[in-house]
Amino acid sequence: MIFAKPRFATAVLGEDDLSGADPLTGLLPLVETIVAEHAPSAIFLASTCTPEILKMNVSGCAAPLEARYGVRVYPCRLDGFDSAYTIGEDHVLQSMLERSPQTDEKNLVVLGCLSALEESEIRVECAAMGLPVPRFLPAESALDLPPVGPNTVLAPVHPFLFQSCAWAQRERETPMFRSLFPYGPDGSRNFYETLAAAFGKTVSYEARERETWAAVEREVADLRGRSIAFASDALVELPLARTLRAAGARVDFISTPQIYKKFHAAETAALTGVEIVERADRFQTFARLSELKPDLVVANLNIANALEGMGFTVKWSTELTFQPVHGFSSAGSLFGLFTSTLRRHDALAKRRLEDAVPAKPIDLDFFRVGAKARA
Amino acid sequence: MKLAIWSYQAPGHVGVSKAAASFSGIHCVLRAPKGDGYGTIMLAMFERLGVVPPLSISALSEATLAGAAADLPILLRDVDARHNPEMIVVTRSATASVLQEPLDGEIAMMAPGSIKAEIFQASAHPVRDDETSAFALTTKELVAHFAQDVPRSDGPSVNIIGPSLLGFHDRSNVESLRRALDALGVEVNVVLPLGASPDDLRRIGRAWVNIGTARELAQPTLEFLEGRFGTPWVRELPYGEAGTTRFLRELCALCEIPADRIKAASKDANLLWYARTVDAHALSAKRVGVFGTPTTAAGIARTLREELDMRVEFVGTYVTAWGPWLRERVADITDDVLITDDYREVARAIDRTRPDIMFGSQMERHSASALGVPCAVVSPPAHILNFPLGYAPFIGYDGANHIGDLVNTTQVLGLEHHLIETFGPRNQGRFADAAPEQSEVPSPAGTAAASAAVDDGAPQWDAAAERLMQRVPFFVRKKARNNIEKYARERNIAVIDEAVVVRAREHVGG
Repeated sequence: MIFAKPRFATAVLGEDDLSGADPLTGLLPLVETIVAEHAPSAIFLASTCTPEILKMNVSGCAAPLEARYGVRVYPCRLDGFDSAYTIGEDHVLQSMLERSPQTDEKNLVVLGCLSALEESEIRVECAAMGLPVPRFLPAESALDLPPVGPNTVLAPVHPFLFQSCAWAQRERETPMFRSLFPYGPDGSRNFYETLAAAFGKTVSYEARERETWAAVEREVADLRGRSIAFASDALVELPLARTLRAAGARVDFISTPQIYKKFHAAETAALTGVEIVERADRFQTFARLSELKPDLVVANLNIANALEGMGFTVKWSTELTFQPVHGFSSAGSLFGLFTSTLRRHDALAKRRLEDAVPAKPIDLDFFRVGAKARA
Repeated sequence: MKLAIWSYQAPGHVGVSKAAASFSGIHCVLRAPKGDGYGTIMLAMFERLGVVPPLSISALSEATLAGAAADLPILLRDVDARHNPEMIVVTRSATASVLQEPLDGEIAMMAPGSIKAEIFQASAHPVRDDETSAFALTTKELVAHFAQDVPRSDGPSVNIIGPSLLGFHDRSNVESLRRALDALGVEVNVVLPLGASPDDLRRIGRAWVNIGTARELAQPTLEFLEGRFGTPWVRELPYGEAGTTRFLRELCALCEIPADRIKAASKDANLLWYARTVDAHALSAKRVGVFGTPTTAAGIARTLREELDMRVEFVGTYVTAWGPWLRERVADITDDVLITDDYREVARAIDRTRPDIMFGSQMERHSASALGVPCAVVSPPAHILNFPLGYAPFIGYDGANHIGDLVNTTQVLGLEHHLIETFGPRNQGRFADAAPEQSEVPSPAGTAAASAAVDDGAPQWDAAAERLMQRVPFFVRKKARNNIEKYARERNIAVIDEAVVVRAREHVGG
């Protein structure tokens, strides 16, 4: 709960709103308050599942609200039906793409939220390769939209941005960019080389990849030969698993919420032979993990502690989307996500703290503080 | 539609899930879009459960919207096989209820005997009920479902109603009550919903008296048990040392046991003695604000006012339905009762009263911090910080001690800081000079922003006046600043210079 300045508000539906009234009537005074109190430069008008089910035309309210208050309103669908929370970013970026100017120009747009550090690497590499100066979506301002058209090279940096790319392909005839995602030295090399190729240039990042591997050897050394399994739901599993394998780790099992066949094709091709399960059943996953006994399991929050309770070493998957992981310069931080957990586990295990009395996972009996439990 | 920038309470389905999943031998299945299933994550994380939480989600998908057959029966069979619960409580989120899926039909069509567990559909309304009322109703429904006629226990006994998973320091609270009850020779029959099994619920009628730890969560169950078994319940709230004594006296009367046993129960209670120690005398001058659930607000405000003689500026609750109850409870403490579920109104009340210590939820901690007001967190909404590894109760005698410690650790020790500021290494024996200083008060930028948000057109300070203010000990500086700005505003003074500061001090003594 970081609440320095609220940037998120909810238009809470009451029972009256469920009876088919025009949502614009309810939204007008709310947006007026928001504009008056917060003066945003743009409003993302998100509709959740309930309006979806009610067939409430929330996105239709965007234009009249924008006209009335003079603030850009991006309508986007942000419902809970999606298989992964990261897809929210996809919806938001699509809503921005829909407002981007048309162009026939040959330009470069890098799609997806990145840290300043990650962006600057891409900017530097593009300059070195003699490519056009990349535009980023999102940029610093929510009103800064790059032109997109049939000659645009639209390069997604995250594996969960399928719908935005599909929209551009459908509506603007922008070709689908196909490369590995720029995760790890191997993915970064492929990403930049593909980028160059899209502009008719042949560039080799072979040496650069080698240098980066050497630079992150300290991290990689601790991953070599370790086995890692994914039971998470962040939709970044495939490129992470791929680069971990390239680093010498063993990946035997990946469960991921969704695979977009063509969009993820380069990644799945690099993961040939790995057991990949889409929308895995929780208990089947547990059973499989018990057979495989990996050194590290990457898992989402609701089962992370349960897996620790079963004796696995667990990496909390939400963190994978908090850290800079893109490009050559973030390779160390990417591998560090995994080595830090392994090292901590190894350090604690080496001290044999639990030899006399093993740690007791908190179970439901811990809460049976009633009379019977005591008796 | 109603604008909510943040809400104190979760939707009704979270209340149902919290109550149902807290019982032992009961599993909760939530029919909802995946995005509504964050209760499982909270349960797993905050309670640090080393096992799969007893709460599963039957995820609605776009396929469901398109009319695909629901997969609820598959999940029910799975939960039945994997978790072996005696009962599965099925509930749905607002989205799922809008969809009007025929869940009854789907459940009814499951082959008889295909699952061992009994299936129970919670009746809390996904739109009309909020987290609190849905929790209270579900707890009562499950009690009513299982309760059987059983003989009274031989000796005096109680049920403790209200503690749950994801509750606020609930495990510690139960432990604190138990210690007192053990000393009194009163048996704890059932604690619920936390850890109570269907078997426990079947014998809930054994108890002589019922105790509700959080009145807003326990009330329907207290009334149901009173109606069904004639079991009386305790009206006093077990907050503070004297408050706990009153609570236990009422309990002793209802159990017809001698009240002198309370002496043994209270042997480690230190709050009233702390109040008499000279160190605590300054508390009489300290002003506090209290905001939280109705029970915590009422209990904490009375403790601070009666037992520590602190000055209560305002009391409030976000459980608006319980506003009148709170108002009546604190009528002798303050007229300033704030009943709102808008956190910004609470922030404004903190800004308006500038208490020395705010007692509130994690949200008040944020609001107060932006204003430079120290805050003790005494109420939900909780944060993972409120799931301590150790013992940290808020109720009973041990809870009273803990509240005293909180007052101590939260208040800014003004004299100490002033001495460091004056004689500390930074000044090397010099008195504080006009050099710009580091901020000791958290987040001055936030303060400025917050004040600006509350009232526009704040007067400007010139450099000399700013320098002068640096001479004011920092722990009263904020208050002095406000007083001077108020003085300037009232007289339409746009720029505060040294002369204004001097005159203002004559007026407001700041």
